Amino acid sequence: MARRLTPWRWAVLGLAALYFLVPLAASVIFTVDVPGQGVTLDAYARILSTDGFVPSLLLSLELAGATIALVLLLMVPAVVALRLGAPRLRPVVEVVCSLPLVVPPIAFVAGIVSVLKWGPEQLSRTPLFQTFVVIQNENFPLVLVLAYVVMALPFVHRALDAGLRAIDVRTLVEAARSCGASWPQALVRAVLPNLRGALLNASFLTLALVLGEFTVAQLLGYRPFAVWIYNIGGSQAQMSVAVSVLSLLVTWALLLALAGAGGRTRTASSRG
Amino acid sequence: MTTALAHPDVAPVASAKRRRRAPGWLAVVPLLAFTAIAFGLPAVAIVDGAFTAKDATTGATSYTGANLTASLQGPYLTALLGSVKLSAVSAALGALIGLPLAQAVAGSRSRALREAVLTASGVLANFGGVPLAFAFVATLGNAGVLTTHLGLKDTGWNLYSFWGLVLVYLYFLIPLMVLTITPALDGLRTQWREAALNNGATGVQYWRHVALPVLAPSLLGGLVLLFGSAFAAYATAAAMVGSAVPLVTLQIADALSGNVLVGQENIALALSLDMVLVAGLVMAVYLPLQRRSARWLDA
Amino acid sequence: MTVTTLEKAAAQQAATVEFRGLRREFGSTVALDGLDLTVRPGEFLALLGPSGCGKTTALRMLAGFEHPDSGAVLVDGEDVTHVPAHRRDAGMVFQSYSLFPHLSAVDNVAFGLRMRGVRTAERRSRAAGLLELVGLGDKGERFPHQLSGGQQQRIALARALALRPRVLLLDEPLSALDAKVRLSLREEIRRLQQELGITTLFVTHDQEEALSVADRVAVMRAGRLEQCAEPAELYGRPATAFVAEFVGTMSRIPAELRDGTAEVLGQRLPADGEVSEGAVDVLVRPEAVRVHADEHGTARVVATAFLGAVVRVTVRLADGTEAKADLPAHEAAGLGAGAAVSVSLPERPVLVAERIQK
Repeated sequence: MARRLTPWRWAVLGLAALYFLVPLAASVIFTVDVPGQGVTLDAYARILSTDGFVPSLLLSLELAGATIALVLLLMVPAVVALRLGAPRLRPVVEVVCSLPLVVPPIAFVAGIVSVLKWGPEQLSRTPLFQTFVVIQNENFPLVLVLAYVVMALPFVHRALDAGLRAIDVRTLVEAARSCGASWPQALVRAVLPNLRGALLNASFLTLALVLGEFTVAQLLGYRPFAVWIYNIGGSQAQMSVAVSVLSLLVTWALLLALAGAGGRTRTASSRG
Repeated sequence: MTTALAHPDVAPVASAKRRRRAPGWLAVVPLLAFTAIAFGLPAVAIVDGAFTAKDATTGATSYTGANLTASLQGPYLTALLGSVKLSAVSAALGALIGLPLAQAVAGSRSRALREAVLTASGVLANFGGVPLAFAFVATLGNAGVLTTHLGLKDTGWNLYSFWGLVLVYLYFLIPLMVLTITPALDGLRTQWREAALNNGATGVQYWRHVALPVLAPSLLGGLVLLFGSAFAAYATAAAMVGSAVPLVTLQIADALSGNVLVGQENIALALSLDMVLVAGLVMAVYLPLQRRSARWLDA
Repeated sequence: MTVTTLEKAAAQQAATVEFRGLRREFGSTVALDGLDLTVRPGEFLALLGPSGCGKTTALRMLAGFEHPDSGAVLVDGEDVTHVPAHRRDAGMVFQSYSLFPHLSAVDNVAFGLRMRGVRTAERRSRAAGLLELVGLGDKGERFPHQLSGGQQQRIALARALALRPRVLLLDEPLSALDAKVRLSLREEIRRLQQELGITTLFVTHDQEEALSVADRVAVMRAGRLEQCAEPAELYGRPATAFVAEFVGTMSRIPAELRDGTAEVLGQRLPADGEVSEGAVDVLVRPEAVRVHADEHGTARVVATAFLGAVVRVTVRLADGTEAKADLPAHEAAGLGAGAAVSVSLPERPVLVAERIQK
C-alpha cells in the first residue's frame, strides 16, 4: 500500500524534533556562551582537571564492567538451560526477573540500607561480619554491583529472551553435537555466536543503567559518575551541564556502535 | 556449566539422558540463589521494617501498624498522592503524544527515518536522571537559555513546579512510549485497514472500531510502563526541584539520609512498601494485557 | 448450505466490470502497462500470471486501494476510478490474516453492517445467516485465533458478501492454505458464486486453480493482458507462446518453418502462429507427443515419473533438446532411462514460436 509522507506526519515529526533537540541545543549554548566572556569552550576544557571527574568516571566504568560480567554469568546459562532442559522453571525465572520492576530503586535502596545496618548489628561475632565490611569497601563498593545486577535483571532477561526466541537453541546444539562438538563447545561455538546481538544489547542496557544510576549510589553514600555530576551542579553549573551533554553523546555513540555491531545479526535472525 | 555436561558422550545413553536433565536445574540455581540474597533480603527488610517500631529509650523493637498508618497521613500522604498524580499525568501525556509519533514512524516507508527515530528513542528513554535535569535547568531554569532569551520569567514560568517536572519527565517518557508501542503498530496489518475500508468504514471508523481496540492492550500496557517509570523516578526530581514539589521518592530519600528523627527510617520503609504496593498493583494490570495483545498481534 | 432469498438479491444486480487502459508505475517498475479487460455480469473471471505481472494491482484498483496513473475502472458503465475505497461496493477476500483479531466470527461478518448503522439484532441475524452459508454456523462466537486457516478464509468470504456487493474480489484467497483445504474451498467458492450469480474476480498464480474454477481466465504478463479466454480454449489454443508455456506443460522442439509448414521430427505439419520463416520452435503438450520404443530411434529416455493414469516420460532428442510426453501406464512399461525411442507428433496443425537459443 502506497502511503506517502503526509503533512500531518511531517508536523508530528517536526514538533517532536523541536521538543527533543531544543534542550540539547540550549544546553550546548548554555555551556559555551558565558555572560561577560562571550563564546568559550572553557567549561569543557576544565572537565578533565576537575577534582573527582576521573575517579568517579572510572568507578562507574568498573562498576559497569563488573555488573555486566556478573549479570551475564548468571543469566546466560540460566536462560539457555531453560530452553534446553528445564522448561518448567521458566515461569519462575520470568517472575524473578520481573520482580525488580515492582520495587522502585528508592524503595530497594531503603531495604538495602536497613539490611546493611541490621547485618553488622546481629552478626558482629560471626565471619559474615567481614562480608558486610568487604562489600561496602569505599574503593570498590560490591554492594552497588549486587544492587545493579538486580536492577538490570528485567532488561537483560528481555534482551536475551528476544535473542533466544529468534534462534532454535535445541537444534543448534544438536546440530553441533552431531558434528562432534562437546557440550561446552556446542554452547560456546554454536549458541553464543548466534546470541551476539542479544548479548550486546543486554550489555548496552546494563552499561546505560549503571552509568546513569544515581539513586542507590547517592543514598548509600558512594560517588560514581552520576553522583559526581550532581555534586558539582551546585557550584559549577556550566560544567555540570557540559558533562551532562557529553554523557548523552557518549551514550549515543555507544548505541550506534552497538547497532553497527549487532545490527546485521539481528536482521538476519529475525528474518529466519 | 558442570562437569556432567562435559563428558556425556562417554556415558551410556540412559545415564546421558538423566545427566542432561540435571544441568538444566543447576544452571538456574545460581541465579535464584543470587536473587534470593541480593533482592530477597532487602525486600524482607522493607516489609519487616515497615511493621517494626523501635522504642527510643529501651531500644526494644515491636511489631506495629503505626508506621504504615503514619505513612498515609499528613505530608507523607500529600507526597504519595503527589507522586501518583505526577506519574499519572505525565504517563497519560506521554502515551497521548507518543502514539501519533510512533504512528508517524511506523506508517512511513522510509527505513532510515524509522531506524533514526527508534535509535534516538532508545538513547532518550535511558537519558533520565541527573544529566536530564541539568539539561532542562540550562534550557528553562531561572537562568536557562530559553528563559532569558524569550523572557519567560515575566509570564510566570517556573521549571521547578509540577508542570515543569511533567515537561522534563516527558523527555524520557515519550521515547519510552514510542519504543513500547511501535511493535504493536507494526503488528497492525494492512489487510485490516483495507478490509475495514472494503466493508464501508471510513478512515476514522477504522481507527475507532479496529485499530484502537486492537491496540488497546498495548496502549494500556505502555501507559502502565510509563506510570511505573515516572513513579520510580528520583534522580531527576532530586536534581531539579529539591523538595519544591512533594514526591514520595524525595520523602523517602529525606527520611533515609536524614536528619535522623527517631523512627524515621521505619517510616521510610513504610513509604517504600506503599510504593511497592502501588507499583505491584499497576504491574498486575499490565501482565495480562501484555499477553492478550501478544496473542492478537502475532497470530 | 442454502442461499437465502436475501442473498439471491445479489444475482439481479450482477455488474459488468471494465478496465480501460489502466497504467500504473511504482518508481521504475511498471505494474500495469495499459490493461484493457471486460468482465461480464455474473462471470467468474480468474486473473492469472506470474508474480509481479500486475494482476493484484488490477484487483486492488477495482477495490479502490490503488489508483491508476491513467485509465479508468468502470462498474456497470459508471466510472468509479475516483470513488474512495469504502464506497466501492466490492467485497474483497484477502490472501490471509485479514480478520479483525479482536472481534468474534459473527462480529467480523457483521462489521460492514455496523459501519452502515444497521441495528445490532438485525446485523447479527444476517451475519449468522452468512456464516450458515459458508458452513460455519456453529463457529460464530469463536475468535480468529481459535479458527483454522480454512475457516478464517470462509469467514472472510462471508464478510466480503455481507454488504451484498456487486462485485466479489478474491486476492489469492487459497494460497496460504494447505493442499486439501485449498481444493475443497475452491470448489465451495465456485458453488457459492454460481448460486449467488455475483460477478467475481479471482487473482491467482496457480494455473490449475484458475483453469478449474473460472468461466474465463485472463493471463497477464508484465502489466498487459496476453489472452482472455475460456479454460479449454486457453489450454488448447493459446494465443501466444507465453500463454502456452505458462498454462500447462509445454515442450519446445526445434523446427524449420517454410511456406506455413513446419518441418519437425521428420514430419511436415501445418503451422499456427505469427513468426518469420526459418528456424523456429514447435510448442507441444505432453499428451500430444508420441513415444515408441525403437532400437534405431535417435532419442533417449532421460527420466520417467509416475503420475497415476499416465507416466510422464522425458526424452532427449538427437540434437539435445528435451521433450516431455504423457503415455498411458501400460505403454510406458518398457521405457526405462536410457531406452532408445522414436518421437513423433500427430498430424495436426502445430503452434510455432520464435526459436529460443538454449
